[in-house]
Amino acid sequence: MASITTEQESELLIVLPGDQLPESGLMEDSSAAHRLTLGPGLAPMDDDSITAVKAGILKHNAVGNRWWVESNQRRYVAAQGESIIGVVTGKTAEHYKVDIGASQPALLGVLAFEGATKRNKPNHNIGDSLYCRVSMANKDMEAELECMNPTTGKADGFGELKGGFIIKVSLGLARRLLDPKNLVLRLLGQHIPFEMAVGTNGKVWVNSASAQHTILLCNGIRNSEYLNAAECVAMVKSLVEKM
Amino acid sequence: MSRLDRTRTSAHQLRPFFSSQNLLNRADGSAQFDFGESSVMCSVVGPSEVKLRDEKLDKATIEVVVRPLVGLPGIKDKAREQAIRETLEPLVLSGLHPRTGIQIVVQTMKDDGCILATAFNATILALLDAGIPLKSILGAVTCIVDNNSNEILLDPTTEELANAKSTHTFVFDNKSSITSKEEQQESVDVATLYSDSTGLFSEEEYFECAQICYKAVQAVHGFIRTAVQKKLEKEYQQIHS
Repeated sequence: MASITTEQESELLIVLPGDQLPESGLMEDSSAAHRLTLGPGLAPMDDDSITAVKAGILKHNAVGNRWWVESNQRRYVAAQGESIIGVVTGKTAEHYKVDIGASQPALLGVLAFEGATKRNKPNHNIGDSLYCRVSMANKDMEAELECMNPTTGKADGFGELKGGFIIKVSLGLARRLLDPKNLVLRLLGQHIPFEMAVGTNGKVWVNSASAQHTILLCNGIRNSEYLNAAECVAMVKSLVEKM
Repeated sequence: MSRLDRTRTSAHQLRPFFSSQNLLNRADGSAQFDFGESSVMCSVVGPSEVKLRDEKLDKATIEVVVRPLVGLPGIKDKAREQAIRETLEPLVLSGLHPRTGIQIVVQTMKDDGCILATAFNATILALLDAGIPLKSILGAVTCIVDNNSNEILLDPTTEELANAKSTHTFVFDNKSSITSKEEQQESVDVATLYSDSTGLFSEEEYFECAQICYKAVQAVHGFIRTAVQKKLEKEYQQIHS
């Protein structure tokens, strides 16, 4: 059977669908609690083996003995707790229908906003962009969204995104943009002040003082996906010089 | 013996592979795969919304569309659609995305024989690019039994196909690998996902073809792994540098 061998020369441990995880490796550092948590990209198979189902980089976190596969794709599949950007596509008495880029539109309750009551609630129209949180995601049901922090009931930055521009990037790039140390965002920020919201569904909202700047920022973010650090610096430099 | 394809010296030599992923801007996943001068492009959209008529309550609906090099799709293309769909259905973990659709479009770009095998390889690369959950990956290779020499030639060109007594296309998964000589036949049986043969051939010839293709497919699997690895290394170079 094809099983994973650690390659010394490459620090990334790459798995393809069908690669089995060696059972010994999975349990070695969890002597205290014999628990194993499988994340995205790994699944137990019929023959009791744990197999990768997506192509990506095998990652491990010793806390809770967590294993997952870090993979990149373009299509979003809703997962509970993720912050996403959606566009209102429909409205009923109780729900907004929001396009989040998944297979089905998600539902956002009209009262799922900070301080919303039956008499006093925010009114959004078709075409509005919203930064929201996935409150419930199940493969058999439409995802449900909310525009507030469920523990405090406060907006916490969720809500309508006014002005600006939304671009669609791959889910992997969106996750990397959320890293506070992200290189391209730091480089762009040195030249142009801007605000942005990154949805883990691959939608990125960018706003700045002028449309010209916003377009430049969007191009810079899009271009950065397959560049290394030095190329990123050169790319941002050439973009800013051309402006 | 020399082959009609002058670029190759041995009967069991494959043409050079080429692949490229994430080519199309609007699809969720796409890939091109070449066996020498045969080239197929494949795009994957999904898991996305599906027509109510095609919706399955417990799993994703897989739709395959095969586009020929020129003209409208004919019976041959419909047969290829069915072959690809029926091979992929058990491979894709469609239960993870119920009531959705996965559309796969296969377009021939250049035809120099072995289009079905090229299409299978392009499809699996596009599915990997789209991040569709799969049980395993597959690899496909075609071989012929030559009419004059009775020799088995791997990965034939159009010219060589014209001289074929019989043509065999095999698809194998990557779950089992070659062990000992005796166990090899067993692992060929286990790994076979699809086999398509035309022409006149004996039972012995068929099993010999299967063995030779199975060995050749290991190179295809290795190539797919390298292709995916290259792409991932490119994506993660900012983090790991």
